Amino acid sequence: MVIDITDVTPLFIWLLGPEWTEGRLFHPLPLTVFLLLLIAGLSWLVVRLRKGHGSTDRGAARAIGGGSAAAIVLIALGIIAWKLLLLGKAEEIAWTLTLADFAEGLRNSCFKGLQWLLGGGWHQGALYWWFLVIISAAAAVFVLGWLAVALRRGPIKALETSGRAIGDCALDIIRISPRRVGALAWLGIKESIRRRVVVVFAVFILILLFAGWFLDPGSIDPARLYLNFVLTTTGYLVILLLLFLSSLSLPADIKSRTLHTIVTKPVRSSEVVLGRIAGFTAVATCLLLIMGVISYFFVERGLAHTHVIDADSLKTVEYAGRPTGRQGVTTRVHEHRHKVVVDPSGNGRVETEQGHWHELDEDWKELLSKESAGKKYQLGQPEGMLLARVPVYGKLAFRNREGESTDKGINVGDEWTYRSYIEGGSLAAAVWTFQGITEERFPDGLPVDMILGIFRTHKGNIEKGVTGSLLLRNPRDGPDVKPTEVEIFESKEFQIDNRLIPREVRTPDGKKVDLFKEFVSDGEVEIWLRCVDMAQYFGVAQADMYLRAHNASFAWNFAKGYFGIWLLGLLVITLGVLFSTFLSGPVAVLATFGALLGGLFHDFMFRLATHQTYGGGPFESIVRILTQQNVTSEMEPGLRTTVVQTLDQPAAFGLWLLAAVLPDLSRFNVFSKCVAYGFNIPGDTILTYTCRTFAFVLPLFVAAYLCLKNREVAR
Amino acid sequence: MQSEIIIETRNLTKVYRDFWGRQKVRALKALDLEIRRGEIFGLLGPNGSGKTTTIKLLLGLLFPTTGQALVFDRDAREVTKNERIGYLPEESYLYRFLNAEETLDFYGRLFNMPRAVRRQRVADLIEMVGLDWAKRRQLKEYSKGMTRRIGLAQALINDPELIVLDEPTTGLDPIGTREMKDLIIKLRDEGKTVLLCSHLLADVQDVCDRIAILYQGEMKEMGRVDSLLKVQDVTEIRVTGLSAIAQEEVKRAIEHNNGHVLNIGNPTTTLEDLFLKIIRESEEHPGRRVRGVVEKT
Repeated sequence: MVIDITDVTPLFIWLLGPEWTEGRLFHPLPLTVFLLLLIAGLSWLVVRLRKGHGSTDRGAARAIGGGSAAAIVLIALGIIAWKLLLLGKAEEIAWTLTLADFAEGLRNSCFKGLQWLLGGGWHQGALYWWFLVIISAAAAVFVLGWLAVALRRGPIKALETSGRAIGDCALDIIRISPRRVGALAWLGIKESIRRRVVVVFAVFILILLFAGWFLDPGSIDPARLYLNFVLTTTGYLVILLLLFLSSLSLPADIKSRTLHTIVTKPVRSSEVVLGRIAGFTAVATCLLLIMGVISYFFVERGLAHTHVIDADSLKTVEYAGRPTGRQGVTTRVHEHRHKVVVDPSGNGRVETEQGHWHELDEDWKELLSKESAGKKYQLGQPEGMLLARVPVYGKLAFRNREGESTDKGINVGDEWTYRSYIEGGSLAAAVWTFQGITEERFPDGLPVDMILGIFRTHKGNIEKGVTGSLLLRNPRDGPDVKPTEVEIFESKEFQIDNRLIPREVRTPDGKKVDLFKEFVSDGEVEIWLRCVDMAQYFGVAQADMYLRAHNASFAWNFAKGYFGIWLLGLLVITLGVLFSTFLSGPVAVLATFGALLGGLFHDFMFRLATHQTYGGGPFESIVRILTQQNVTSEMEPGLRTTVVQTLDQPAAFGLWLLAAVLPDLSRFNVFSKCVAYGFNIPGDTILTYTCRTFAFVLPLFVAAYLCLKNREVAR
Repeated sequence: MQSEIIIETRNLTKVYRDFWGRQKVRALKALDLEIRRGEIFGLLGPNGSGKTTTIKLLLGLLFPTTGQALVFDRDAREVTKNERIGYLPEESYLYRFLNAEETLDFYGRLFNMPRAVRRQRVADLIEMVGLDWAKRRQLKEYSKGMTRRIGLAQALINDPELIVLDEPTTGLDPIGTREMKDLIIKLRDEGKTVLLCSHLLADVQDVCDRIAILYQGEMKEMGRVDSLLKVQDVTEIRVTGLSAIAQEEVKRAIEHNNGHVLNIGNPTTTLEDLFLKIIRESEEHPGRRVRGVVEKT
């Protein structure tokens, strides 16, 4: 989005500068003074208003009403004038003030924390879109309210009434008393306890007790299975509980008339709404804290296991008649066993299996002695199972079988085109270019994590993985310089394979060179992946290879995963409280549930509303069902088709509006996915989703307050 | 400041409508009312006469269809006026899962009272309503009378200037009723204004300075209780010390006997009689303000 301001007066440009970044206003001193004055002025106003008493007086109401109306008219005229100025130059209209654009802007903003929020160069960020949406919605409500009153009392009186409504709304929010909100939140907590919130704990513990029956520790990635299970169970239980608590509370108080004794005290509607939200949020926080701790220990205990190495299982491996070390296997526990590899110098390691390995200490070497027959060694607890990897992603490019650059690999016939394939036994390669690679960051070499898709054109040795190789190349080298092979490995299909490219690399001519001196230029390095086996294929996508900068704390990452559920819970609470301010209990539950479903299927709703799915809208679908037509065939032209498609238009618009208003809740599963797949949840993601949540919570809170304020609670 | 107006309604009307906006019932018709500081004002009327609607309109629980309700010279929908009001609803709508102390502390917090003040006030009120022995019990274990008492305590938590009592003696035993009436009079003597509505006419007669009688949403009568109940065309002479023989002669001439005249004045009817007569009259002549009922009594 580019805001073209070349036609605007020079003063405006002087003040704000091209693209609103280099103007006088943004020079450090004037900007600082301006910001300080703004903050001081706003603080003074808030303090003064908080100390004041009573509601908006007549004069103020008229001033606010008139001012708001004038502002709306001026903005509307400005938009029209802008459009007229750019008429005939349609290609120059880089933006249009429609809700669709706002929704699109919010959805498509890049997720880079503050940059996402404030935009590159502190403009064009999501925050401004949010303000635009809020101001537009407020203006729409103002105009509708004014029209409704004007019809009964005339335009001037309507202006005063609307002004008073705005003034009172601002005062009711500014004058919120923390003590009253605290009291109401405390009441919400007591009420939740009375409604037997502890039952949820009982259900949770019961589910965990029986989880051992159906959670298979011998699965391909047991950590993912366990983590997915606890996060999903906690999420569903807490969200359902909060849905019922938040949407039934106010209607129950209105029905039992206990609300009468509250609203006849000096309690503002804003405080009632905020108190409920705060109370239920506190309940959610406590629930999640306790459930999080229980879940953490459940996962740790569930995954804990050891193996035993029997000295008799270690057999000498020979190559060309000479011993090259020993190999053996551990005992079978949790449906798996590990391969144990000992090099000629007696150093041993336990191979990764099911996403983990076990460490060997010095005592295990007793198994290698001559008198070791019958001796056993017990391994320690699994390592690398519960991780929070901090990945550094690179940019992926491909080379074809002749070694020439190409934008993607081979399609092996998968419908899902996420991964592109490279052919084995050829020059085809997947090339990742990583940036920001420094010695300080990776002092021991480059730890590479890979998740490879395998496509076999022949069975080969089915017990053995397809062989691949990793190669290094300096991006500054000319096109003729070939990459240097640094590792040959046996692939593990759809499992995370960890490899370490050591600092010291041996070149084809046998020289030992330092990785950073030879292959890294300006922090950039190329890592090539090739498939070695003929007629077999590796499938890769950009995110399938990354360098693991380090591992963050798993416990902390686990807590972040629960924070994601907490954010979702906060949205559900606010939605529940909003619906409960104007609907009866059961209807409020249904409405909140509907909003939750709508949020979870947000993308589908949007595609349905914008005709990106097959089968048309509701009316066309009914006709298709009744006439047994499939969804992909075109409807026959005619009156019936015209009628149903015309009827579908308002339905699609309604759906679009709903999709534009509802938060996209399906995206919140990024938290649980990151934890389950063992990736650290970046701070940017947390900031983005926190802002996203509060961007919805704040207007929903104001809407709930307005609904309650204008409701006759004694009716 | 005796004449300072605390509550004022101007042409206050409330129409209940259905979902489609159609008029269902006109609960209150053009009520004009003034209640002054320091008086006990009673709202009387049969079921559906609009007295609870009036109270709800004055408290901002309902919004007027037309007209205006002013409390402390502020619109009834304004929240800050509640800082000076105490309200005891018809039934004590309290949170039954809280105990007496928690209940009063909670309502004290809603008045933004500091913790120390709240603690003292809670202790005083619990002692005043005589629930010291049950202050840690949940309200769901309370009898109706006890709930009423704690309801009264919550209405007084902020030491209000105006106390609105909806059926204050409902559920109370005779002693409790007496104590409630004494308390209402005590509050009036402290300079507070009391607005109450009740079906128990004897209670209203005992405590109210002025009353208004509502019927089918209209005000039928308003004035001081003593003047409303005065029967103008009858003279009452109350005497004592008459012997049994002398009683026969009383009709001829009291002064000729040795009796001592205690009071000569207008006898009063009971409020119950007055109330029933007004209702009867209203049913015979709907829509007309009742006049002269008292004179005919």
